[in-house]
Amino acid sequence: MEGFLGLTLPSFIGQLINFLILLGLLTFFGYKPIRRMLDERANRIKKSMEQAEATKQEYDRARVEVEKRISKARDEGQSIVGQSEQAGERIKEEARQGARKEAQAIVDRTREELERDRDKIVDELRKEFVDMAILAAEKVISETLDKEKHRQIIEKTLEESAALRRNES
Amino acid sequence: MTGKRHRGSLLKIVVLAIAIFAMIIISFIGSEIGSGIIGSKPISFLNVEAPKYHPAPERPFHHLPITNTMITAWISIVVLGGLFFIGTRNMKLVPTGLQNFLELIVEAAANFIEDPAGERHGRWFFSVCTTIFLFIVANAWLSLIPGFETIHINGEPFLRNANTDLNIPAALAVVSFCYVEYWGFKAKGVSYLKTFFHFGPLWQALKLMFTGNIKAGAGGLLNGLVAVFAGLLEILSHLIRMVSFTFRLFGNMTAGMILVMIMLFLVPWVLPIVFYGMEAFFGFVQAMIFGGLTLGFACAAVMEEE
Repeated sequence: MEGFLGLTLPSFIGQLINFLILLGLLTFFGYKPIRRMLDERANRIKKSMEQAEATKQEYDRARVEVEKRISKARDEGQSIVGQSEQAGERIKEEARQGARKEAQAIVDRTREELERDRDKIVDELRKEFVDMAILAAEKVISETLDKEKHRQIIEKTLEESAALRRNES
Repeated sequence: MTGKRHRGSLLKIVVLAIAIFAMIIISFIGSEIGSGIIGSKPISFLNVEAPKYHPAPERPFHHLPITNTMITAWISIVVLGGLFFIGTRNMKLVPTGLQNFLELIVEAAANFIEDPAGERHGRWFFSVCTTIFLFIVANAWLSLIPGFETIHINGEPFLRNANTDLNIPAALAVVSFCYVEYWGFKAKGVSYLKTFFHFGPLWQALKLMFTGNIKAGAGGLLNGLVAVFAGLLEILSHLIRMVSFTFRLFGNMTAGMILVMIMLFLVPWVLPIVFYGMEAFFGFVQAMIFGGLTLGFACAAVMEEE
């Protein structure tokens, strides 16, 4: 019944089956899922490292690009500012010229108007003066002078005054 | 102040050491052997039953052909299978608890195996080598649980360290042998047989001799005979491996079991703890040796010869 040191065929086969069952159990419920998990984790880590590397490169590239753009924009801005300064200068000059011309025109026109008004006023004044002078003279002298002489004197005076005015202008 | 505290802890250690020593002495004197030497009567609760050893596993159920080591092996299977089954339910990418522990074991084993065997062959060997290791460790460590060997049914111990049943080391050795040869054929095909039947150099030498070049042929003849002899030795070594595998594990575990039994008989208190610790270590070492040697032989079988 009992073999050498307890070695028996049924027991031996039974233990062999035991071990094979354990091997199967551990392989399918233990090692396979765990190794899959380990592999997946390793893959995940590798992938995320690669991603991080790629992101860093992308970032570096973007930074260089942005810096380039900023410096370009700065240059452009500077040239725009220069141009607008020039344009402003030109516009100012033009405005100054225009204003001067306009002012001159206004001055000229005003002077003409003034002269015209003055002539008119002078003419009216003269007429009135003549009339008043005649009236006054008539009253003062009444009939001491005859009418012919009277007129001659006035005419002469007017003549002188006209000459005087012509000289003035 | 620190000096006072230091002196206090020193005092505690001294008291503890004296207490331990006293327990060892008392338990020795109270046991059967110690009381016999002194001439007093053994103290009843220190009187441990004298160790009885039968190499064959006992059968607690007389009418059933189930041995106690068979039951222990089933317990090991249930414990290991249960651990892995529970630990791999809804696995998470960020591991916690049991999953983390199992991953630690699997990864350590994978590194240990793939280091010499390489990635491809390592995957072949992994399951068998790791299972052999875990099975032996589980058998050895379960038997160290307090009370393990005290359960008796029908006057026979209900449980016994499964590694002390010659059938288990033998079964493992046969599994190891079969897998090694299988991997050899898987890696090299039919030319794996050349490891055992290496007639090539001998034929070459004979051909040279018969075609007239007797001098060169005679020189090659010796080499050819050596190759044939080496192949035959290889067959022998592969077969003897199984025997050495079997008796290394069986012998170590049985010796450990007997040692612990004798220590419990001689000095029931305290001192056996040391041997329990040693047994825990030896169980691990034996499992490592069994799994490691299987791995080594497997690597040798699949290795390409130049």
